[in-house]
Amino acid sequence: MSTFFDAWHFDGQSAVRRKVEVQVIGNQFYLLELERRHGPYRFGDLHFLGKKTDGTVYGLEGKDGWRLGMTGTVPAELSAMLPAHRVYGGWIDRLGLGKASLVFAGISAAIVAVVLLSPQWLAPLIPSSVERELGDALVGDFGGRFCDTPKGKAALAKLTRSLDDNPQDLQVEVANIDMLNAVALPGGKVLLFLGLLSQAKSPDEVAGVLAHEIGHVRERHVMQGLLRQMGLAVVLGGFDGSGGSTINSLLSTTYTRDSEREADDHSLKALKQANISPVGAADFFNRLASMDGSRDLKDRQARTMASYTSSHPLSDERRKLFENAVVKGSAYKPALTADEWQELKTMCAQDKDVKSGWGFDIE
Amino acid sequence: MTDNEGKAPSAVTFHGSWTDFAKIALPNVLLTLVTLGVYRFWATTRERHYLWAQTRFIDEPLEWTGRGMELFIGFIMVFFLLGLPLIVMQLVINGLVFQGQPIAAGVIIFLSFLAIFYLTGLAYFRALRYRLSRTYWRGIRGGSDDQGFTYGWSYIWKNVAAAIPLYLLYPWASMSLWNERWSKMSFGPYRFESNADWKALMKRYLLFYLVPFLVFVGAVALGITAASSGGGGDPFNSAGGIAAVGAIIIGILGLYIIMPIAALLYYSKFMRVAISALRLGDLEFSFTARSPDWILFWLANLAILMMAYAAAIIPFSLFVAVDPTQFAAKIESGESIFSVGLVLSVLLAIIPLTFATSLIRYRSWKFFVVHMEAFGEVNLDRMTQSETQTASHGEGLLDAFDVGAI
Repeated sequence: MSTFFDAWHFDGQSAVRRKVEVQVIGNQFYLLELERRHGPYRFGDLHFLGKKTDGTVYGLEGKDGWRLGMTGTVPAELSAMLPAHRVYGGWIDRLGLGKASLVFAGISAAIVAVVLLSPQWLAPLIPSSVERELGDALVGDFGGRFCDTPKGKAALAKLTRSLDDNPQDLQVEVANIDMLNAVALPGGKVLLFLGLLSQAKSPDEVAGVLAHEIGHVRERHVMQGLLRQMGLAVVLGGFDGSGGSTINSLLSTTYTRDSEREADDHSLKALKQANISPVGAADFFNRLASMDGSRDLKDRQARTMASYTSSHPLSDERRKLFENAVVKGSAYKPALTADEWQELKTMCAQDKDVKSGWGFDIE
Repeated sequence: MTDNEGKAPSAVTFHGSWTDFAKIALPNVLLTLVTLGVYRFWATTRERHYLWAQTRFIDEPLEWTGRGMELFIGFIMVFFLLGLPLIVMQLVINGLVFQGQPIAAGVIIFLSFLAIFYLTGLAYFRALRYRLSRTYWRGIRGGSDDQGFTYGWSYIWKNVAAAIPLYLLYPWASMSLWNERWSKMSFGPYRFESNADWKALMKRYLLFYLVPFLVFVGAVALGITAASSGGGGDPFNSAGGIAAVGAIIIGILGLYIIMPIAALLYYSKFMRVAISALRLGDLEFSFTARSPDWILFWLANLAILMMAYAAAIIPFSLFVAVDPTQFAAKIESGESIFSVGLVLSVLLAIIPLTFATSLIRYRSWKFFVVHMEAFGEVNLDRMTQSETQTASHGEGLLDAFDVGAI
């Protein structure tokens, strides 16, 4: 039994448009021209290509450029054999736009939650040997820029011991670089830059900063940060333009600010335990505050904007935190003796072998 | 260009409407948002499907047969083959600098730079090849059997050669690369031929080239006036102050208005010269957009983007405005500002931005098609199927380097 329908056809071999009739025989069909017959083709090999102004268009599996178009209303017998129309394709057509969107939103939210929260429990699972190797690979011996004198090292070790119960897990170094900064790196490495020591007014200031960096190490912030950053980069990589990176920086900034706060809390506890005055750390943040301008930000809005974009809490706020922790009348003892402090401060100057700067600058 | 009066209607016509396009673009925005951007490859495909189908050459519409999955695979490939190695390279470079081996770090940076340079050229080539191989007209498609690997090297050496005489040979480099790229492409049984002459571009290029100098000279002249008339006092009332403000305004105008317009003047000429030198069998092409058309097109796109940015800020402002003091207090004390509201407002901000870029893609395609002309005859019997191979992955490289296909 056969039925005929009007249709147009490109055979994929030449650009000639053929006016054809569709002859249906069972689950197959032929395309009939005046003196030619194309086919047979199987309905199962057809796929929907789109609804155009000149009809609904179908392609054929394995035939490049083969097209069959049908204009007007297609009879029910034929349309039952043709593949279904697709709008979005796949799951979305099956579920409907609304339901599919909800399902996708749920999955996405779950993935983001996992990426944001898993570093907290993933980081401790990474063996410390791996972390140490990563730290070594990143920094090594810092190109011979670690300052080293016996007395200076001893002073540094004493300071570290007073602030932490397991100082053997830590590798604290002074780097001969004139930057007012300190960093915690993977593998329990803490670097104090020379600029920090030479500008510090007292060993108590250095103690506050060192305890803060040890806080990062103890809370496993470094690995957490690395894992979270990588996870977010993968998950949000699909957005083009600035969308993904904006969300990424917003989320990771929130987390680094939280980490900074945790490290500050750790620092306060360590100072308390060591009976070192938090005034030093407060002085340090006071100096930072005048440098980054946060001390002069009287306007509330300006303060909010500044802290919104910053990865750290405002220095001025941190100064207040440490100032408020001072217990009046408490018998604090200095973090180091005057001699030890002198040795630590001058360690880089005394070390004749240490290299200076970044290797790029002219000495 | 001669006038079009008395001529037959253009061989290339566009029949789309932006309201129809919006019906495709808006669900695309929604799906892109809820899939964290993954849907954008399928979104691009749906857009092209519409744009190609609304474009008619002579009597038949074009057809886009590319698939979202192809673009997605291209993206994944680039991520693993290029993104990850670059991240590792970054770590290695950091390590080398920290360990005091700046020369080794420098060598690696140079090699990475060279690799990216090469891949950018390759990306231009392969994107054009991919798009031609997915573009059908009367069941016939385009393509190229060339993989573009030699083109990548041409891209490097021609750009370096153009840069040596202080970038004065840039028009030569870009035009000769255009010719090289198109000469390797084909549609059906015919190869494209392209032999556009770069010398026609030089006047426009020199104009563009001179703008920064003129802006600089103007700003310096005003700056000197400012300095010589002495500082102090109200900057808006003293003569020196006015001159200084003038210098700044000239600088900003130069950078954000005059430079882009000069670039458009050059680009307008480039497209007219390049496309009118293109041939396919007995077909010749031309491009009718002149500088004012380009400038209007660019200004409208700019306006769309501005409006989108304004709309993007609204949800965030609302979020902060609901409880500004508490928000400020939290933020200042360094407390976590992570909240569902904040993340939602950022996500909502993506809606106008994604829609605007989609609209700009529509306008770009329309602009291109409306100004495209073709002359000559097509012999339908001789227009047979292309025998070029097709790739199963899309424009990943192009995506990664953020460059346009044509």
